Amino acid sequence: MSTRWYPIYQRGNPQLRVFLPNFWMKLVRPESKQLPNIVQFHCSMEMTKFDIKNYLEKIYNIPVVDVRTKIALGKFRRDVGKGYVIKDDDIKSAYVVLPKDMKFEYPDIFGSKKDDGEDEQKALSEAKKNFKNYIDRNKHRTDVPSWFTI
Amino acid sequence: MNTAMISTLLRSTITRCLRVQNVAKIIGSATTRRDIHTTTPANDLMEFFDKKKNWGETNIRVGRPWKLDELRLKSNTDLHKLWYVLLKERNMLYTMEHECNDKMRLFPNPERIDKVQESMNNIETVIRERNVAYYQLETGETGERPVEDVVNLFGLREKYEKKEYYIPRFMNTRWVRPYLENGFITSAAVKKFYRLYKEKEYNVERKAKNKDFRHVQHLLKRFPDMSMETLKAEYPNVDIEKAKRSRKARGHFMPKY
Repeated sequence: MSTRWYPIYQRGNPQLRVFLPNFWMKLVRPESKQLPNIVQFHCSMEMTKFDIKNYLEKIYNIPVVDVRTKIALGKFRRDVGKGYVIKDDDIKSAYVVLPKDMKFEYPDIFGSKKDDGEDEQKALSEAKKNFKNYIDRNKHRTDVPSWFTI
Repeated sequence: MNTAMISTLLRSTITRCLRVQNVAKIIGSATTRRDIHTTTPANDLMEFFDKKKNWGETNIRVGRPWKLDELRLKSNTDLHKLWYVLLKERNMLYTMEHECNDKMRLFPNPERIDKVQESMNNIETVIRERNVAYYQLETGETGERPVEDVVNLFGLREKYEKKEYYIPRFMNTRWVRPYLENGFITSAAVKKFYRLYKEKEYNVERKAKNKDFRHVQHLLKRFPDMSMETLKAEYPNVDIEKAKRSRKARGHFMPKY
């Protein structure tokens, strides 16, 4: 079936038969500067190095030379209001080494795109329009509060 | 002349045949192309990111998740393909969400993740249905993870989902010794715990019953003419006649004798 718990041992090869993997991986901006052929991922905690290699090679068709993983301990912090201790989730990071000739640079997603001013203007004009509608609707009953309506 | 006629006939038949072949080819291609629709695979790390035109957008509209009934019509191979499409989509959404959080931006339409997740859950449900049907037909069992009724360490009954162990049961002396030979269930500590646990359960039940009784008493005090059938239906485990007779159920007025 699927990887709801780690696949159990079966006789014969291949050992890990996974039909519907629910492993997730996300490509993240590298924390520190890396070589151009090294990519950093966050992935499911259950994934092994072999899983990561197979996942990228079979599903995404990306050649993988080497995989290194680490598990970063989640931060302990106090809740601001109540004061009890909260522990953030641990994160498994995978550093995937691509072949020498491949290069990957994390794209600049919000770089040269229109800024949020346009959206703010849009929201403001919408609010103005709504207020005008409201005034028009109630111009014949100026002494009645707004909530008194059908 | 004869030869010319024959040659024209031949030519015409050949061209007709060719045309027929072409038509057949076109029809064939049309029927075979009715597979599940997938985007062309990019086979690149850029598959982890959204389409370029969606970068920096604040509103990304998408369709609804796959329904169970739609997925039940699909073949196993189609479901298998669709699973990987959704898996990639979910990875893409996770990546974009992470990047948005990093850059202090709002992630546009986060319900997209829920939609993909719902579709994936539905696929899993359908696959499980088929697996159970197949196993029941072939072996008479469901093929699900086996569940056993056991008494746990605290002497309480629970459902135990069986799992794989590194060593078989008879070799697992660490488990066998206390559990089978001495028995946690018969030990004094477990008995004591079980007794106190039962007492606690009984007290919760008793207090709830008393609370209901008191509430009924006060209701009778405030509303002496209320419908007794409704009261009985609302509080079935309260003795209403007894509550009526009690002192607390009497209102602050002269009794009508």
